[in-house]
Amino acid sequence: MKKIYSIIILAFFVMGVVQAQESGGIGFKPRSYYTFTWNTTFPMGDFSDWVNSPSPAGFDFGGRYLVKSGLAVGFNIGWSRVSKIYEDETYYIPEKGLAITAENYRFTWIIPFQAVVAYHLMPDKLISPYLGLGIGGDYMEHHLLIQEYDIYETQWDFSLTPEIGVLAKFGKFSNWGGLVAFNYKWTTNRIEFYKNTSKDLSMLNLRVGVSYIIR
Amino acid sequence: MKTKLGFLILGTGLMLTMACMKYPPNSDRLLEDLAVITQYDTKADFNDYKTYSIPNSITKITDRDTTQVTNQLAQDILNQIAKNMDARGFVKAAAGEKADFGVQPIYFQNTYVYTYYYDWWGYYPYWYYYYPYYPVYYSSYTTGMINIELIDMKIVDPENQRLYIRWNAFIRGLLTGTHTTAEITGSVDQAFIQTPQLITTAQ
Repeated sequence: MKKIYSIIILAFFVMGVVQAQESGGIGFKPRSYYTFTWNTTFPMGDFSDWVNSPSPAGFDFGGRYLVKSGLAVGFNIGWSRVSKIYEDETYYIPEKGLAITAENYRFTWIIPFQAVVAYHLMPDKLISPYLGLGIGGDYMEHHLLIQEYDIYETQWDFSLTPEIGVLAKFGKFSNWGGLVAFNYKWTTNRIEFYKNTSKDLSMLNLRVGVSYIIR
Repeated sequence: MKTKLGFLILGTGLMLTMACMKYPPNSDRLLEDLAVITQYDTKADFNDYKTYSIPNSITKITDRDTTQVTNQLAQDILNQIAKNMDARGFVKAAAGEKADFGVQPIYFQNTYVYTYYYDWWGYYPYWYYYYPYYPVYYSSYTTGMINIELIDMKIVDPENQRLYIRWNAFIRGLLTGTHTTAEITGSVDQAFIQTPQLITTAQ
């Protein structure tokens, strides 16, 4: 967690320096913007019982349209995967009298589809922090690989994603900018493998990427 | 503008590369590691069994031939099986005595066909071995795998010439030459540990 906070603080600090260098800039209020971000996922709660290490394997694509003052609505879709190898775990299938002890590789694909509402505190500034909420669903595939066996299940869910972030234009009149965001995702997704159940899967996501801003 | 576009393309490429890393393919997927898979007949009552017989060699099956292995490692494995059977209340049958269970350890090396049947002192040669349960099958046995089977010698089926297998353990990666004797005997122990049902109180 310390690393996450450090990254966020660093990002705000760097952007603050950029803004200070261009202080006095009027900038422009975007009509809409599109984002493409690299997503690092940190599984939490029950989800971390399944895979307990963060994963940088993910990206998101989103679009937002400012409808009134700093209020924006839009969408977010993406793809990410968390994974980890566990050594010498035993799985039982009692009804078959079967038990397997082996290294196993667990991973989950996550494909979110969300509608997003965001409020930009200073939409016309070079640095524009915002608060957002994503509402939608996810498609997840949970895989358990043991030797050549691939045991998996697929799940759809409902999810909520409160987010804080910063949209930073690369220049007063630039159509390009950067985006750093941090969100907490709660889902109704669950993992059920042979009586081991993880439910209400949740995670933290750190998104860093670029945005294309339309005036 | 060109520089920004370059960074953008580079960044996008990096993101996609990181994001689309595949999971390990079948060929690499943990195949070199020891894996212990056991299965027992859930309808069997192990209290109905007391004695067992165990050969003094391990049958080795390759694509070319079938031989008997009697080296120190084979003896260590056989001793470990016997030790675990004893700990579960089973008693080794005296020489020449018909036992309730026949222990059959088979080592597969680069073998795709499962054809070996032990001749239990001439009682039931060439009979079919029958799993009362749906057993785990490997598509190929390529990494030095041992299959330990407990063959039911009490219930024979002369009509269909069947011998019933009540428990079996696949220990994969066991004899690849990359594991210590302690790891190997530990895997034999694990096969029993994960089958607590394999125990008898028969007198």
